[in-house]
Amino acid sequence: MDLFRRLFTQSQAKPDELISKTIEPEPFEEQKATEATTVPIPAVNAVEEKDESEIAYADGATRPLPPETVITTSNMHLTFGQSTDVGMVRSNNQDAAFSFFSTSRNADQRPDFGLFIVADGMGGHHDGEKASAATAHIVAAQVTSSVYLPMLTGENDADRIPITEALVSAVQKANADIIARIPDGGTTLTATAIIGDLAYVVHVGDSRIYLITKDGIEQITRDHSLVQRLIELDQLKPEEAAHHPQRNVLYRALGQSESLEIDALTRRLPPNSRLLLCSDGLWNVVEEKDMLGIVIAHDDPQEACDKLVALANTNGGTDNITAILLYIPSS
Amino acid sequence: MPETQKFAGGSGDSSSDNSLQANSVVHRRYKILGILGQGGMGAVYQARDLNFPDVHKLVAIKEMLNPATDPAIHNSTLKLFQREANILATLNHPAIPKIFDFFDQNERFYLVMELIVGSDLEELINKTKELPVDKVIDWAIELCDVLEYLHTSQSKPIIFRDLKPSNIMIDNFGKVRLIDFGIAKIFDSDVRRHTMIGTEGYCAPEQYKGNVTTLSDIYGLGATLHHVLTRKDPRLEPPFSFGERPIREFNTNVPERFVEAIERALSLEPDKRFNSASEMKADLERLRYQPQVAFGAVAEVNDGTNFFDGLDADGAIQPKWKYPTEDEIRASASIYKEMVFVASYDTNVYGVNLADGEFAWKYATHGGIAASPIVDESNRLVLFGSEDKTFYALDCRNGRISWSYTTQDKIRSTARIAPDVDAVFFGSDDGHLHALNVLNGRFLWKHDMGDPIRSRPFIFNDLVIVGAESGEMVALELSGNRKWGFRARRSLTSSPYVDTIEGICYVGSTDGYMYALDASSGYSSWRFRTNGPIISSPVVHEGLLYFGSADGYLYAINAQTSREKWKFQTEKAILSSPVVHNGAVYFGGIDEYFYCVDIQTGKERWKFKTNGAITSTACIANDVILIGSLDKTLYALPLVG
Repeated sequence: MDLFRRLFTQSQAKPDELISKTIEPEPFEEQKATEATTVPIPAVNAVEEKDESEIAYADGATRPLPPETVITTSNMHLTFGQSTDVGMVRSNNQDAAFSFFSTSRNADQRPDFGLFIVADGMGGHHDGEKASAATAHIVAAQVTSSVYLPMLTGENDADRIPITEALVSAVQKANADIIARIPDGGTTLTATAIIGDLAYVVHVGDSRIYLITKDGIEQITRDHSLVQRLIELDQLKPEEAAHHPQRNVLYRALGQSESLEIDALTRRLPPNSRLLLCSDGLWNVVEEKDMLGIVIAHDDPQEACDKLVALANTNGGTDNITAILLYIPSS
Repeated sequence: MPETQKFAGGSGDSSSDNSLQANSVVHRRYKILGILGQGGMGAVYQARDLNFPDVHKLVAIKEMLNPATDPAIHNSTLKLFQREANILATLNHPAIPKIFDFFDQNERFYLVMELIVGSDLEELINKTKELPVDKVIDWAIELCDVLEYLHTSQSKPIIFRDLKPSNIMIDNFGKVRLIDFGIAKIFDSDVRRHTMIGTEGYCAPEQYKGNVTTLSDIYGLGATLHHVLTRKDPRLEPPFSFGERPIREFNTNVPERFVEAIERALSLEPDKRFNSASEMKADLERLRYQPQVAFGAVAEVNDGTNFFDGLDADGAIQPKWKYPTEDEIRASASIYKEMVFVASYDTNVYGVNLADGEFAWKYATHGGIAASPIVDESNRLVLFGSEDKTFYALDCRNGRISWSYTTQDKIRSTARIAPDVDAVFFGSDDGHLHALNVLNGRFLWKHDMGDPIRSRPFIFNDLVIVGAESGEMVALELSGNRKWGFRARRSLTSSPYVDTIEGICYVGSTDGYMYALDASSGYSSWRFRTNGPIISSPVVHEGLLYFGSADGYLYAINAQTSREKWKFQTEKAILSSPVVHNGAVYFGGIDEYFYCVDIQTGKERWKFKTNGAITSTACIANDVILIGSLDKTLYALPLVG
């Protein structure tokens, strides 16, 4: 439409810049004052991260819309829920969950950032829960310092490493740490960093990420399990895998060996899509169609998470259950 | 036997509580001397047989716990043990340890057998750097021999089930001895409700469905040999992934025919393996005892795809026509309707008829042309820059000049048109990205990058993305405002490519890396390392990213995960950018060949030899592939394969 005009008028901006550009020449300070209201995240049982100064909807405050705005969705952000439960059989919860989300509104235009982690520990004598907890914390700390902080300071550092590389090296660090400190523990790890509408995923083991859209539910991680491998090689039918005696045998996990191969992938998240991270305590007992049904039926991700965990418990709750659910905004 | 699984079983280590004490006498006959090994089922002891008081006769005693508490199960386990022990006791083969006796005592079962002095293969792997391949073949033959015996000597085949390095002893005479027969499995309660890490690694896939046959032992043998030769422990790799670790990549001493035999033994489908251990033995014996004729002398054969059209009698591709110019053709041709436009370093741009390669017109500049001419279809213009510093717009029908625009230095960057805004963008060695009105050449703006720009800009979502020789890349709004920047370690001569569906920008650098960036923010997602500078520009097709490198390979990698799907080796560097068309990828090499490679398999479909290096990108239209070579010629090849 007005592409031509845009080409010649330097001050014209793209739609998502309209807000800041059109209220010029208002002083920047004043703008900040009206917008920097931080609102703590609504009741989410984030186990690991309750630092309210970091989890913040900086742009959540109501204020008059700029006169010329054509965008109605600029205040829409990712929302998330997180739920974890020991289940009906186990005596301790060896799963670890971590959620962190930050959004800001200012002239610098940093994209929203989120980091979500599920780790499912294994090993006796509390080694499993130690391994999953350590992994979640190490990965979170590493990614914060190698990805999030540079993003905030806006360093255009030539040597900054690609994001999936930063994620992968964070997982390597966690692996080395577990081998050194918790030799009898192991853990799965499935994590995603969300920057804007891109999901950067790292994955080891059999925790999963599902991408849920109006078209259905798609598992975007690949289990590192014996039965999954047999299925991929056409040596086992998926229905045989569901009750296979060795369905819990993993061939890859953190804490297993110094050299760890880590799956990494990048996915663009469609508007209005939903991302579900979960441990096998959920997907072993809740069918994908039921996950889809619950996620689609709830507008509040926390409610949906709680329902998913409740259904897993209804279906036996044979293992620890963890679910983190992200709702991607419509724009 | 050593436990291989780190988290195997959930029950504690009860076996050590009641283990036999040194110097105690069991079964009124065997004096325990010490423990040889400790496994999940119980220990293996070294003992002296007191029935031979005058000599020091040593035996091994294998202990197995009976975990069953239910009396009925306990009893049936006992019966099973006795039956199996009886069978073992009747076996007579040099590779099978003799069974002397069996008994049970204090809820434990004991098997008294020949003591073997030596090392198991796992220890040998760990102790040595490399085992002589001839020796390994000898052991493989002996193992086939004992498997043949087990599978055929009794009325019912005995299946070993668990062939692996730690179950194979090499005794002090260098001979193979099989230890740890499946009898132990009777006592394996196999309660595996807890998640655990690590797989058996040597088991055939059908064993996980309970279909164990003699052919499962062939697989186990193949897996063992693979481990011994590559020294890659399959328990630390994804199950059934031997095919991803070609033996000769790790050990070049292994003859091709031995590799083939092992690969056949490792077939996932049992009926694709050797039919029997004796068949495999015969195959290995031929290999061991017959002189080898030069390996790898068999010529590569194409995989019979139908592409006879356009091949001459010898099977070589014949050009439909050739168009000679006066100097190197460094850049790509373009096509509009019935016309081909090709630039030569001889300073001319030529208009040539697509059908027959006949000359239509030419336009002379004052410098060599290294950039590709592009076509503005709506205005029927051919646009290109020359090393005479000038950017030209010609009428594509007659080659007459429409307008021109001069920069401060040579132009080697191919231009890009943003049709919605009637703008054309190109870089110059003067360090600027120039934006002009495509209709009249009127200056719109320029962006200073400080260093020559030789890559071709890409336009995505109202952003112009371009890289410079400094290694800097910028995304500019159509107004010229800088939106984001990125810096590679060395120059960005390769042109950026944006997968418009995923919104990911890919660009290669002479630092050897292919980078993936979020096209809307410039954040880098991953990088993929090659062993040479990347000049070739990438292209995405169905989730795979294709590009060449100066290391001589054309790469196909998964765009989401950056995992390599395949790579295709040429003789020299690849600077040309690939083009994907109808299931094949087309590109030229510095080795003077133009290649057509199948995108599924990464195998060559055909190649065409020119008389000069190929640096340009192919242009494909209808049934013709146009490719220019540094031999000064533009070739029109028939589109086959």
